[in-house]
Amino acid sequence: MHAEHPRLLSVDGLSVRFRHHPANIVDDVSFTIGAGETLCIVGESGCGKSLTALALMGLLPKPAAQVAAGRAVFEGEDLVALDESRMSDIRGNRMAMIFQEPMTSLNPAFTVGDQIAEAVRRHRGVDRAAARGRAREMLEQARIPAAEKRLDEYPHQLSGGMRQRAMIAMALANDPALLIADEPTTALDVTIQAQVLRLIRQLQAERGTGLLMITHDLGVVAETADRVAVMYAGRIVEEGPVAAIFDDPQHPYTIGLMGSVPSLGRRSGRLETIPGLVPTPEAMPRGCRFSTRCPFAAAVCAETPALTEIAPGHRVACARAPIELRVAEDAA
Amino acid sequence: MAAPDAVPGAARAPLPGPVDEPVPPRRGSRSWTKLRSNPVALLGAALVLFFVLVAALAPVLPVADPTATDWLAVRKAPSAAHWFGTDEIGRDVLARMIWGAQASLLAGVVSVGIAVAIGVPLGMMAGYWGGWTDAAISRVTEALLAVPFLILAIALAAFLGPSLTNAMIAIGLSAMPIFIRLARGQTLSVMTEDYVEGARAIGLGHGAIIGRYVLPNIFPPILVQATLTIATAIIAEASLSFLGLGQQPPAPSWGSMLNVAKNFLEQAPWMALWPGIAIFLVVLGFNLLGDGLRDALDPREL
Repeated sequence: MHAEHPRLLSVDGLSVRFRHHPANIVDDVSFTIGAGETLCIVGESGCGKSLTALALMGLLPKPAAQVAAGRAVFEGEDLVALDESRMSDIRGNRMAMIFQEPMTSLNPAFTVGDQIAEAVRRHRGVDRAAARGRAREMLEQARIPAAEKRLDEYPHQLSGGMRQRAMIAMALANDPALLIADEPTTALDVTIQAQVLRLIRQLQAERGTGLLMITHDLGVVAETADRVAVMYAGRIVEEGPVAAIFDDPQHPYTIGLMGSVPSLGRRSGRLETIPGLVPTPEAMPRGCRFSTRCPFAAAVCAETPALTEIAPGHRVACARAPIELRVAEDAA
Repeated sequence: MAAPDAVPGAARAPLPGPVDEPVPPRRGSRSWTKLRSNPVALLGAALVLFFVLVAALAPVLPVADPTATDWLAVRKAPSAAHWFGTDEIGRDVLARMIWGAQASLLAGVVSVGIAVAIGVPLGMMAGYWGGWTDAAISRVTEALLAVPFLILAIALAAFLGPSLTNAMIAIGLSAMPIFIRLARGQTLSVMTEDYVEGARAIGLGHGAIIGRYVLPNIFPPILVQATLTIATAIIAEASLSFLGLGQQPPAPSWGSMLNVAKNFLEQAPWMALWPGIAIFLVVLGFNLLGDGLRDALDPREL
């Protein structure tokens, strides 16, 4: 927690469980986000990062998936314990979400303007004209050219990048305190990705919105994050300021993740990969969930490691951290 | 439920930022423009409109009494006196056609209206809520679908008693399971779309999601099914009338005329020809109009 960011959301021990599955798909996840701060959750597909976001929004596919434990205190209320009607007052109002697929995330039967206006009317109780004015204002803020004309266009008339801008306009229409972006640029091509990221960052900075960015793209992380949480198989394995995670990764999984990023410069040898596959929920190892793939695994890894602070603000869940020291000890 | 006022998000804060410049109002309906520029749909609309007008104007049109018999003019071929000929007891076929349009169109439209009005909400509920709601609605639907359409309509009409109103209710209830199934299936497929999750993410309730996100997106196939079912319903009314369960003689309907005419196909083919052509044209009209409406209402088609 940084002193300059007053705490907005603090998640404590959040666990999500699927019916008929033995292991928690999201297990004991804790993090905080301050106002105006950006936390990136990174991890590969299926590590539980999107489910974490859906759990916070109260959008888990019930009854198949349930929050099994934990708290998520947002502006003084525990999101996990809220009833559906209170939750839907918060959604789209104090807390909003941008989805991965701009092509399918807008209702094809209504114009873009109507959909943004609907989000405004739902939470502000203003009349149609005022909501429409707000929709235009939001499209303009989302740097959509000819915003007035776009108001009356249907989603299929907009390009993917435009749609994602419209989604951002809709999500921010009620000035939420927290924005959750679930891989907002994955479906866009690279030049548009950069524009959309810049837009999100600008709007966030103007409004002081807290941002929870879910991504598997380390380039996005480097560009947007204040702090990073690395997830593996449902747990946060490492968390810290973005510079610390990139320059001094401590968890073997993070180290492997950093090694598997292609760079523009000359490369020596093959790109690094992490051996093996993510364990399925049925075959989840006891203790550290990365231990079956970890080159540094030892007997102590059969016990679940706690997130331990190894540098100010930098926490890692590895019994063998700091790795260099332990490896040197083993060799000695 | 937390006390709403204790929380910052609960208060309906005024809109952030002034909305100073006036925004031009929403543009008018594009669907109407699209429908008008579709000649096939206009032909369908013209056919439907023609028959609706004929049915509505039956009391004021200068035609003979549709129930007056004339034993001197039995089964006369079309002539100047009787443009469409006469039937087996000397009634004017043109007059019976015009008055019969009322019963047939009513039977087609009202019964499909009943089927859609009951079936589509039930189907959307089943698809939207799933679980026990879906199980209960779907099992009953399947049980109804197991009975052939016409048998079910006959059984219901016999149970309700013979009259045109009861025939329409019976046909509507018999056609309802098709709409439940269609609406349920379409709802299930729409529910997997990201925009439904998006609707929840902006805090919309179930009513708004069903009304504004599900219904408009399942509407086109339902519209097409409805126009096709109008044709089936007109023919079903004919069958019920034939059995004495629909329009009661001597009041005419196209179906009952057709059913009587089949006994005189060789001696008086015109008795079958006119109702047959009329049913064909009105069904064609509804189908063309339905296709055109579907295209006009689909925002994805330009």
